[in-house]
Amino acid sequence: MSRLSLVAAVAMCATYIRVFFFTPIDRFQGAAQKIFYIHAPAAWVAFLAFFLVAIASGMYLWLRDERLDRFAESSAESGVIFTTVVLITGPIWGRPVWGTWWEWEMRLTLTLVLWFVYLAYLVLRSVVDDVQMRARYSAVLGMLGALLIPFIHLSVYLFRTQHPLPVVMKTSRPSMPNDMLLTLAIGFFATTILYAAFTRTRYRIATVRDAQLGDDA
Amino acid sequence: MTPQNEGYYYAAYIVVALLYGGYAFSLWRRARALKPRRPAA
Repeated sequence: MSRLSLVAAVAMCATYIRVFFFTPIDRFQGAAQKIFYIHAPAAWVAFLAFFLVAIASGMYLWLRDERLDRFAESSAESGVIFTTVVLITGPIWGRPVWGTWWEWEMRLTLTLVLWFVYLAYLVLRSVVDDVQMRARYSAVLGMLGALLIPFIHLSVYLFRTQHPLPVVMKTSRPSMPNDMLLTLAIGFFATTILYAAFTRTRYRIATVRDAQLGDDA
Repeated sequence: MTPQNEGYYYAAYIVVALLYGGYAFSLWRRARALKPRRPAA
């Protein structure tokens, strides 16, 4: 286990302990509100992961450096995992608070579309054998998929939606008590470190795989 | 009155731990399977 993976594991354990034992229960939503501390950080990291896929993909198309393609592949896989967490925890939180598991409203639907786009990205990578062609096609899809991110973020302002407005990522002060805000900050930190650990491990796997494929060719 | 919905909260945290743990395990398995090959003696 690398040092980064160890830090990520400790940080995630710290988040769980903080949420379970040191964070107050919301008076109006009950304990279900605590799902927020894993839901929002996972959403932030998913957006970060796909944004970095787009950056690495654009740079790959410019520089043709296969390390950028490997990074994009690794970040996309991590992003799909974090988006899966968002899509699972959202309905589990929505059921007791909204009274429904799912609503076909703009933010939820676009997040589902984002998940499908990057799932398609991973499928595309697994079916195209030609290395150059695979890298080119997936770079284009990786960049196009990231165009959804600003729409997802702004959808709560642009459309009538059941999803609440951001409580932290907005221009005014965060609308949360400080002890809840601290838990959220720990969650953001831990999930970001976890993303870095997942992506670095996945990148190393891709590097060894490509080296072995090069030896076999 | 505060709603009693702890079950959803616990379920979410268990599912997320399983997802992250499962993905970490899958990375570990893949890394082991792809250990750099040693040249034959």
